[in-house]
Amino acid sequence: MNVGDALLEVRNVTKTFNKVVRALDNVSIEVRRNEMVSVVGENGAGKSTLMKILVGVYKPDSGKMYYMGREVPFPENPLDALRRGISIVYQEKGVIPHLKVYQFLFLGLEDRFTRLGRLQLEKIIGLARSVFEELGIKCDLASSMYELPLSTQKMVEIARAILNIKLMVGEGSNITPIIILDEPTAPLSLEERDELFSYLTSLKKSNSFIFVSHIIPEVITFSDRIYVLRDGKLTAHHDVRSEKVFEEELFKEIVGRASYHELWARYESVKVRDIDKKPTVLSVRNLTKRGYYTNISFDLHEGECVGLFGPAGCGKSEIARSLYGDIVADYGEVIVDGKKLKLRGEPHTRVRMGIGYFSGETGKELLLFWPIRKNLSLVNFDKVTKSSLKIVSVISFKAEKSLAERIMNKLRIKAPSVEAECYSLSGGNKQKVSVGKWIERAPRILILEDPTIGIDVGAREDIYDALLEMKKNGISMILVSDDPKEYALLCDKIIYIKEGTSQAVYTNEEFRKVMGL
Amino acid sequence: MAQAWISREWFQRNLNTIIPISGLVILIISLRIANPYFLTSWDSAITLIYGMAWFMVAACGLTLVILMGSFDFSVPSVLKLSAMIFAVLYPMLGLYSILLSLAVGLLFGFINGTLLARFNIPSFMVTLATSMVAEGAAQVISGGYTRIITDPAFRAISTTMILGLPSIFYWAILVWILCIFVTFVTPFGRTIYAIGGNIVGTRLAGINVKKARTLVFMLCSLLASFAGILYASQIQGAHMQVGVLDMIPLFASVVVGGTALTGGVGGVHRTLLGVIIIRWLDSGLSMLAIDLNVRMIIFGAIAIVMAILTIDRRRIKIMK
Repeated sequence: MNVGDALLEVRNVTKTFNKVVRALDNVSIEVRRNEMVSVVGENGAGKSTLMKILVGVYKPDSGKMYYMGREVPFPENPLDALRRGISIVYQEKGVIPHLKVYQFLFLGLEDRFTRLGRLQLEKIIGLARSVFEELGIKCDLASSMYELPLSTQKMVEIARAILNIKLMVGEGSNITPIIILDEPTAPLSLEERDELFSYLTSLKKSNSFIFVSHIIPEVITFSDRIYVLRDGKLTAHHDVRSEKVFEEELFKEIVGRASYHELWARYESVKVRDIDKKPTVLSVRNLTKRGYYTNISFDLHEGECVGLFGPAGCGKSEIARSLYGDIVADYGEVIVDGKKLKLRGEPHTRVRMGIGYFSGETGKELLLFWPIRKNLSLVNFDKVTKSSLKIVSVISFKAEKSLAERIMNKLRIKAPSVEAECYSLSGGNKQKVSVGKWIERAPRILILEDPTIGIDVGAREDIYDALLEMKKNGISMILVSDDPKEYALLCDKIIYIKEGTSQAVYTNEEFRKVMGL
Repeated sequence: MAQAWISREWFQRNLNTIIPISGLVILIISLRIANPYFLTSWDSAITLIYGMAWFMVAACGLTLVILMGSFDFSVPSVLKLSAMIFAVLYPMLGLYSILLSLAVGLLFGFINGTLLARFNIPSFMVTLATSMVAEGAAQVISGGYTRIITDPAFRAISTTMILGLPSIFYWAILVWILCIFVTFVTPFGRTIYAIGGNIVGTRLAGINVKKARTLVFMLCSLLASFAGILYASQIQGAHMQVGVLDMIPLFASVVVGGTALTGGVGGVHRTLLGVIIIRWLDSGLSMLAIDLNVRMIIFGAIAIVMAILTIDRRRIKIMK
């Protein structure tokens, strides 16, 4: 590869978090003029970290950046990146729903269009109209953002990024904007995806795109080149224009071939024959929440793990959270042990029924400023209190400490002591504390939402070990995740959910076949 | 390691302990310089205790609420209403009026807690509204008149001398120790801190957050009510000026003690120091003939400065 070809190039980028977790290890990529480059990988593979380095959110530990063949320093901040013609459109939370389209388009640029403190609306709307015409977006400028279809919202966001760069660099200079698209298609339906991609293809004439995704078919169809990241390392590079790339092959590069058979074996080792004949612990009937999911029904047997699988935004996590009482379903039945649960029940009523919930979203569940010991006893008060005084139960610090030590040993939580405050732990260890709470409690049903999102491989394996052991002990689970491997490892039954309705039910074997695992 | 404990980090970590203690030392020295008779006799010490004890009872309740990350504006008004009910009903009901007074306190706490937990209204709005209700009720019950009760049994609640100290001192210490016990070693106390630290996580851990919040607000109002009863007994009656302008000093003494407004950090044990500092400062300043309005300016400033200083820096670092 000749350096001169590349518009933007980074070489040997390494980034470490907390001095231990190597998010990026010696990664080099380049972006050429007028092309769409894809960066694919699992959650936690380092895609987002790389993108954040490109737009100046993070500084790498080492590495070099070249722009049009000249070495340049890494951008200091997003504004600095914008001045060089690099901008990012984030996966979500980028749109401000109640702003009008033209207001959103010029958000933060208003001071360029004021005269004597008055916003020159006519000028803005005129410019917006010409931008939309040039970029081929069809929508009413005066409508609010939330009224537009999701794909059009994305297009407006992309238009805004391009406009930002142009205004920042100056109309006259002949710069090719580089737009980073962070999983832009995740919430979109298939038709909307096609629409977005035809739009992007037309924009390639004057822009370059970096496309971050883990949806394989669209990556192969629409990109010019593909970089594959796994565990922070660049594992493959394909030029789609000159070679034929197969979906299966790419999938294997993304998830890593070596661990398949082992996965399978681990699943088989704890698998119970005829799990359908075991007693039912939870039945869901026609559960519906308008706008999220409709008519979801399934049975969960003792020791069984049911996976709710589907693209992000399909309603799977809302189903899981409704079962735990975090959000309220509109109608339907949830039956535990023959008892109908109130849909409007709070999480504590579910815990009383023997349901536990664990989410991998960092910081959502933990009390970061508490020591590990206190975090672990939060759901285990009954295990660490003595009610010797009859009226009041008193926490025994000794019991707390031994409980915490047991869990720490079991999950191999790396911390100086049980008194270490959770914010000082690495992401993987934080996650272990979150899941560890439930290990001693041993609920009958455990709901898992992205249990290993964004953590390193070692910690992930430790958590899997703990979950498989719980499963072996007859604890039923419901899994929601973005990682197909996780379903293959844990689930006996996988329900495929699309746009809020259940489309198909697979057994573990069928699922592996469908996913090519 | 020899030098490590006095490092900048150590200083920042323990800021909310260092400030109240050094503040107290500075306060004692300067009051002593300004007034050579300050704290030289047993009588003056008892006068100070009378000034602090009822205040301490109310401050303990407020601390629980602030630990939970909420706020209760209705403490002084409930205090006044309870003092008024106690004084107005005492001639008819005798000491049973205490029960009625405490019940009204509990009712206010229940209303506060229920409104904010069930309907998700911010606590400062709910309690600001209920404080107006309590204010109005006190006015209606008393007709705006000062009530004076000369019955010795009425006075005895606060002023019986035990081992040279008035009983109100023991009441305050008892409340303080009970609150410390609850917050330190019971699951309920742990829940208060947990809600202040991360209410979302606490709810997901399967703890009944609504119930806990309601209970804490009930406890706070109950203690405010008890403080009102003690105060009425101490001054032999009640009048409409009870509790007026007490909100800011109460709040100041909680944050001066080192409990962060953001919740989850600090504790009832710290509030004792805060109350001593604020009440001493108050009496010291009035001794120096400083106008009440000027004192209010000073307390307002202290409250703001301490609120800034006690907010947990570590939390801000993480949230960036």
